[in-house]
Amino acid sequence: MAGGSKPPPLNQRSNWHGVLLAMDLIFTNLVNGLMLGALYAIVSVGLTLVFGIIKVINFAHGEFLMVAMFLVFFATAYFGVHPYVTLVVVLPLIFGLGMLVQRVLIEPLQDSDEHIMIFATVGLSIAMINLMLMLFGPDIYSTPSSGLRTVVDMGPAMFLTGQLNILIAAIALVGGIHLFLTRTQLGRAIRATGQNRAAAQLMGINVSWVYMVTFGIGVSCVGLAAVLIAPLYPTSPEVGQYFVLLSFVVVVMGGLGSISGALLAAMIIGIVDAFAGFYLGANVKDLVVFGIFLLVLIFRPQGLFGGARNMSHVS
Amino acid sequence: MSSNQTSPTAPAIFRFFGVDNSADKRGALYVFVLLAALLITPIIVGDDFVYHVFITICLFAGLSTAWNIVGGYAGQLSLGHAMYYGIGAYTGMILVNAGITPWIGMFVGAAVSAVAAALIAYPCFRLKGPFYALASIAFLEVFHVLAIEMKWLTGGATGKMVPLQIGWEWMIFTERLPSLVIAFGMLCFVLAVAQVIRHRRMGFYLIATRERESAAKAAGIPTIKVRIYAAALSGALVSMLGTFHAMYLTFIEPDSAFDLIFSIQIVLFALVGGIGTVFGPLLGAILLVPITEISRGLLGASALGLHGFVYGVILMLVVVFMPDGVVSLLPKRARKALDPEQFDDTSGQPIGDTDLGQQQLDPIQTKARPPLGDEVLKVDDLVKNFGGLKVTQHVNISLRQGEVLGIIGPNGAGKTTLFNMLSGFLEADSGSVVVMGPDGKPHTPKGVADFVSLGVGRTFQIVQPFAAMTVEENIMVGAFYHHPDVDSARRVAGEIATELGLGRFLHEEAKNLPIGGLKRLEVARVMAMRPRILLLDEVMAGINPSDLVEAIRLIKAIRDTGVTIIAIEHVMRAIMDLSDRVIVINSGAVIAEGDPESVVRDEAVIEAYLGKEAGNAEA
Repeated sequence: MAGGSKPPPLNQRSNWHGVLLAMDLIFTNLVNGLMLGALYAIVSVGLTLVFGIIKVINFAHGEFLMVAMFLVFFATAYFGVHPYVTLVVVLPLIFGLGMLVQRVLIEPLQDSDEHIMIFATVGLSIAMINLMLMLFGPDIYSTPSSGLRTVVDMGPAMFLTGQLNILIAAIALVGGIHLFLTRTQLGRAIRATGQNRAAAQLMGINVSWVYMVTFGIGVSCVGLAAVLIAPLYPTSPEVGQYFVLLSFVVVVMGGLGSISGALLAAMIIGIVDAFAGFYLGANVKDLVVFGIFLLVLIFRPQGLFGGARNMSHVS
Repeated sequence: MSSNQTSPTAPAIFRFFGVDNSADKRGALYVFVLLAALLITPIIVGDDFVYHVFITICLFAGLSTAWNIVGGYAGQLSLGHAMYYGIGAYTGMILVNAGITPWIGMFVGAAVSAVAAALIAYPCFRLKGPFYALASIAFLEVFHVLAIEMKWLTGGATGKMVPLQIGWEWMIFTERLPSLVIAFGMLCFVLAVAQVIRHRRMGFYLIATRERESAAKAAGIPTIKVRIYAAALSGALVSMLGTFHAMYLTFIEPDSAFDLIFSIQIVLFALVGGIGTVFGPLLGAILLVPITEISRGLLGASALGLHGFVYGVILMLVVVFMPDGVVSLLPKRARKALDPEQFDDTSGQPIGDTDLGQQQLDPIQTKARPPLGDEVLKVDDLVKNFGGLKVTQHVNISLRQGEVLGIIGPNGAGKTTLFNMLSGFLEADSGSVVVMGPDGKPHTPKGVADFVSLGVGRTFQIVQPFAAMTVEENIMVGAFYHHPDVDSARRVAGEIATELGLGRFLHEEAKNLPIGGLKRLEVARVMAMRPRILLLDEVMAGINPSDLVEAIRLIKAIRDTGVTIIAIEHVMRAIMDLSDRVIVINSGAVIAEGDPESVVRDEAVIEAYLGKEAGNAEA
């Protein structure tokens, strides 16, 4: 029954075959789900980092992904290099763009009302999508796959080499960010600032700089994601919208600000996504994912894995 | 339908819409002129495209004004309001296909939307800021998918035409004028609703809940109920406009009816005009809609993305440079010119005169103190732990009517936690709080609303003013508990403000008061609720010595009206002077109780404060 060869129609086979087929499907969907989850994890890690430290939900997070994917497309098209090579261009550009946005848009609003901050990033998101629409139209741009769409056939599970790379990259990224935040001086400064801005400032940390670096790192995660995704998914001005909604789900489920929580939640959502997509169809899948999202938001707004918030101090 | 709602002809109608003084009257005139221009301009120009632009202005101004009831007054940032628009559009279309006129379909859709909004608002009431926004987006997506999936009802992803039956009955016309009249009428209706809500108790309640939820609860506001009410109303209004727009466009599809960008556009107009103000959304729509409609009309498909880009950039510019919207630029000038009139017009109350406040205070002072009454509050063996921390350990208190009980103790002793249990903000792990009700029967209240209804009022140690409201409005929020009518609430607020020496600041926004003023405002707000038992949490901390004398006199005056008082206080002079009895709390337990003089000489108390022996000093 291993991949490739077409199985005989269901009704001609014994129950035993049916069970095997069902298990194959489950296994295939599981592997698929993990691959998807890895993708969501890379996109979500940056979002949760930015929220955890700067306390901003960046509604334009997906648009940084979209812009980065366009960068990958044009870099590969003009220089004819492998998509992964474009990382050396994409990463610094996205990092710089992130720092700029933090400095110009987010920092001046740091102490204003919540709704102001929401509108600022929502405005940024709309402006970025529509700017790209004006420049490149609503068409789809396909980055050359450069061998990353080669099928890896491992028994019942089949996936693309590009997907495997995403899984590896996701684990490396989460591990890397964790090490960076816990083992380096800058990482410690970032965490300190996230926990208490005023105290960090008193300890001589340049908070404004830390925020800029954090935002830069946060959007650089989607820079990395873009390089990995572009060879597999077509690029369009609206591609970010799809991913950002899912990464909101992941980030809230994992507990806003928690990087390991985001990884775990991304895997869960990836698996749910794969199974629901296979058994229920693409639209109903969205219903399932957003249903889970709403349940988490309403019943466990602190995330699935975080402890309960201290609600004891009323006054 | 519209003109008699916006053209005030009699003073009664003025007052109904919250127009009380000449400044308001001038504002009403501006709005009337603006609205008239909306209707008359396209009729004079007579061009189809101009008609279209003005119909779109009316539509978006209406949508945005309706959104503002939830997003502005209640402060819940919904980015999913397109779902009510979509529900209205689809309900109208489906019913028209079944042969039912959209004039009825409009109300059916409104009812469906109101129910949906209430069902969504109930579980989401705890969510704040970005979380509420995310939840609203998720609900919008759910409706989007449902509209695609329920093909038998909605026609699926490809959308559905509205049958082209011409005439008023079907809301579809060959000319533009009737559509404009309907859109304009609906806009006026929505504006009227928004204006009435804002200037009634409901508006005060919504804004108070937005500003400080716990203070709003303490003022007796059913915070969940008012939010659900606002959500349902807002959803219903948006839905009605959705039905109209479906008939105007004669075609609907899920992607445009349940569109996130459409939702954001609705919010954008409110933000640009001024969130939370009645006429801000109207201004926003008038300023922005023509830009996009004209660019779309002139450039057509080649302008793909242009208006979205412009919106995005405007959104960013507004939040950075003009976060309070266009409205914030207008009335500042107007208000400055009209300020004296505003003062004269406030129901003839001679406010702003502190000397008079003193005179009013004195008669109460000279009144003899009534004898203590029966027991009104009984706390029995109250226990509360936060994890391993024992914050309240077997506390017993008994209080008689008219008594003043002082509670003292080192920082962290658990005084405020005890208050939170005595006002329903926290539930005890074990033990009971029994309050004698006005009916003379004992009650065991659960939750803030219960305590409030039994006449237990409290202040907060960390002051909780409704920052965006004036002093008068802050006190009115408390006064509404017994005076649902705005005029009498305003009168009561004026009286209490004068009594407490806040008369001068009556029209000052609470956020501009110094700390002493804020402490007094806390007391004023709770006094406006006419409490029977008053819990004062460090109302004298941080006020200057001359104010202290004043404050002590004031609390005595309150006591002499028969109010029972429990006061947490660090200011020993106040405690010694005021209290009939003092209890001392340390590490959650009562370590001493008695009259003030004997308590301060108590060995255990001195140890708790000064730590004679290191072992006893933990607190």
